Amino acid sequence: MTLSDTPDRASARAGAPPQAESRLQPVPFRGGGFRPVRMRFVGPLVFAAILLLWEAGSRSGVISNLVLPAPSEAFEAFRQLVETGQLWRHLGASLQRLVIGWTLGMSLGVAAGLMIGLFSLARAGLMPLVSALFPIPKIALLPLFVIWFGIGEGSKVATILFGSFFPTVIATSAGVDNVDRSLVRMGQSFGLSWWSIVRKIILPGAMPAILSGARISASIAIILLVAAEMIGAEYGVGAYILMAGSLFATDQLLAGVAILSVMGLLVGWLIGRAERWLLRWRS
Amino acid sequence: MDLLLRGVSHRYGDTQVLADIDLAVGEGEIVCIIGPSGCGKSTLLRFIGGLERPDAGEVLLAGEPPAGSLNPLTYVFQDFALLPWRTVEGNVSLVLEDHGLSAARRREIIQDVLERTGLSDFKGALPRQLSGGMKQRVAIARALSVRPAVMLMDEPLSALDSQTRELLMDDLVGLWQRERFTACYVTHNLAEAVRLGHKIVVLSRRPGKIREIVEIDRDLADRQQADAKLEAVQRDLWHLLRDEARAADRELADDTV
Amino acid sequence: MTKLSKRSMLKTLAATALATACALAPVVPAAAADKVTVGALRFTSHAASFVAFERGYFADEGLEVEFKFFQAAQPMAVAIASGDVDFGVTAISGGLINLAQKGAIKVVGGALQEEPGVDGQMILASRAAFDAGLTSPATLAGKSFGITQTGSSFHYMIHKIADKEGIPRSEITLRPLQKVGAVIGALKTGQIDAWTIVPHIAKAIAAGPEIEPIGMIADYIPDYQVTTVFTSTANASDKPDLVKRFLTAFAKGAADFNAALVDKTASAQEAEDMVRLIHKYVYADRPFEKAAPSIRNGAMRINEGARLNLTSVTDQLEWFQSENLVPASVTIDMLVDASFVETD
Repeated sequence: MTLSDTPDRASARAGAPPQAESRLQPVPFRGGGFRPVRMRFVGPLVFAAILLLWEAGSRSGVISNLVLPAPSEAFEAFRQLVETGQLWRHLGASLQRLVIGWTLGMSLGVAAGLMIGLFSLARAGLMPLVSALFPIPKIALLPLFVIWFGIGEGSKVATILFGSFFPTVIATSAGVDNVDRSLVRMGQSFGLSWWSIVRKIILPGAMPAILSGARISASIAIILLVAAEMIGAEYGVGAYILMAGSLFATDQLLAGVAILSVMGLLVGWLIGRAERWLLRWRS
Repeated sequence: MDLLLRGVSHRYGDTQVLADIDLAVGEGEIVCIIGPSGCGKSTLLRFIGGLERPDAGEVLLAGEPPAGSLNPLTYVFQDFALLPWRTVEGNVSLVLEDHGLSAARRREIIQDVLERTGLSDFKGALPRQLSGGMKQRVAIARALSVRPAVMLMDEPLSALDSQTRELLMDDLVGLWQRERFTACYVTHNLAEAVRLGHKIVVLSRRPGKIREIVEIDRDLADRQQADAKLEAVQRDLWHLLRDEARAADRELADDTV
Repeated sequence: MTKLSKRSMLKTLAATALATACALAPVVPAAAADKVTVGALRFTSHAASFVAFERGYFADEGLEVEFKFFQAAQPMAVAIASGDVDFGVTAISGGLINLAQKGAIKVVGGALQEEPGVDGQMILASRAAFDAGLTSPATLAGKSFGITQTGSSFHYMIHKIADKEGIPRSEITLRPLQKVGAVIGALKTGQIDAWTIVPHIAKAIAAGPEIEPIGMIADYIPDYQVTTVFTSTANASDKPDLVKRFLTAFAKGAADFNAALVDKTASAQEAEDMVRLIHKYVYADRPFEKAAPSIRNGAMRINEGARLNLTSVTDQLEWFQSENLVPASVTIDMLVDASFVETD
């Protein structure tokens, strides 16, 4: 604006093009992309397309029944489960084990994670132990669990408990480490008690990490359900899948696996809801 | 209540950060502490608030805190330090909850302090919904709610843009005129010091020593912008600090503690 | 002309082949043997195959046998369905029937059978349950019973016992424990009340104080066809000759085995040789002195001529159907190809 007003610039400001009209071209657009766009129907469509192709393949004989049963057969097996009322017995038994095992595993895991996060002694003593025990497949310990906890509900709940305990410990202690220290300093400067700082600052601050740990541990709990129900389980989704496997009833096997998958989706959805509610303070 | 520092010295490892600080903060007085970065002014404030202990020297309180003071030495932080999961009301409530007050009494204090700081309309808002300036107002309201004897303000306006800073300085001046609070105000911004300080303590660079204490006896309300005398003071302060600020600027990060 | 030249060409070829073969390995017979893979478990009940192999009965039939060992019958059945294994011996299980229904496998002969007068499978009780009054299968109501898997032969046996004793099947709690070892552990520690198992295992564990025998399976399921010989449907329909030759050799092995260890008509030396032969395959990880009693104890009749008790097999199929473990549409013809051996 403070530049001298040569006639050229004056005309430019008046709106006339400085160059001949023919040499004007739009600025090439180089932005866009790199941003996920929400596409609501693509997922279900892909799913439906795969099911349809699979069914067509089975009906036409391209896919041998021995190799893979048709989705309709698996659905029929599921329908029989519902009709005979067995579904609820299996689901009931499994959900009870999952809920008890996972809740205990989560509670103990959060407690241990807090200890590790808060006390240097606990960190030095427990963290190596947790790191050593976490990667052990709990299935390998199953015979020991049977001796310790019996072939009843004990060993099944214990398998799920141990499976969900370790990821929770690791998520919680990492969450405590990541709590903004300036908030802790603020709490101290206002003379808050130690317990108040833990309850009102550390715990809510670690909550996002604890919840993402819960997501992982819930998936692990469902994965371990089949292993947990290997020993002495008459009912349960895992026991049903094992039975289908030993009978080579692949339609029932697929129905059972589908039930597990739906359970996983449902638990994921529930935790998503819990996250939205507990972490509503986040943008 | 007065605050007294006697021969405070401190070192981190091999580095002497503070040496022989003697300072008195009188009741109803705002003392600004300025100095180049790395001079130990924030450390000094942590000693005053009892969050850290100096190697040598002592920090003393003279007299009784005012009646009803829940937390005589109360900080206001540069980064606000608000709990993101609590509302404005909840953040103030946090510092009252450990003092055995009844719920009704707490509500009363919160309502009162939010009114005094002009935040009543925002009591249900979460920190993420607030601008930087509003966040610091909440932090100041929180500090006031515990009736402090001395407010320890650690660069409270440094995280704000310059326009918001002007607004908040006006707020603080207004507040001081009503409440006559005592404050230790650490800043690196000379304009803030000149605007708010009754006393300005200039620290030298490492080890931090008191180079000069400038007293400004003009009433806070009368310190308008473009005041020739205040500008002269600010120029003098800059003169004192410039060389050290340059040295501090050219320092490699690993050397600072 | 063409005929002649072809014949002469063949002759030349055969001569060259023979010459090469003689040069390389003088004992190889002129006719190339059919290669077959036999699936086996390291159990005494699989001895007929081991005997037939060791004594050259397979070779006599022109079969070049290679053993493939499995840990359980289930994967063996799947391996036969997939064509990786040609012949196998196993109990009739739900998995086997379901594979037969899918047209993958066929039962072609009999192997192990319960027989009065020969020590067969035993019913066992844990110490705690025995002391509490479980002294006969008649008192099994309200007790828990160990099985490996739903639809296994253990599952069939306990229900046959319950039926005969007039106990409702639902009054016995089944505990699937996946592996024989796990069942033994659970029985020893009293976590389950009862179980049934083949004699060599039963006798070994009942010798200890933790476990008491309370009955014999033969009393409940007479002439129980415990294990059968099976092959892929493709083999049964396309290579009946191969199946016949296998069964002939298998039957010779079975006859030797029965004579030496079941009927004990052969000499003591003969029995000793038989145990030594089996020891190469069964309990090979134990010294001979320790393994020998187990092998002798485990000797149950292997059907003469691989004869198949079709009545027993039909009964088993009907039981699986009554428990909804296999589809009701499965017929005995889907499961068994009875054209190879005698049946009764």
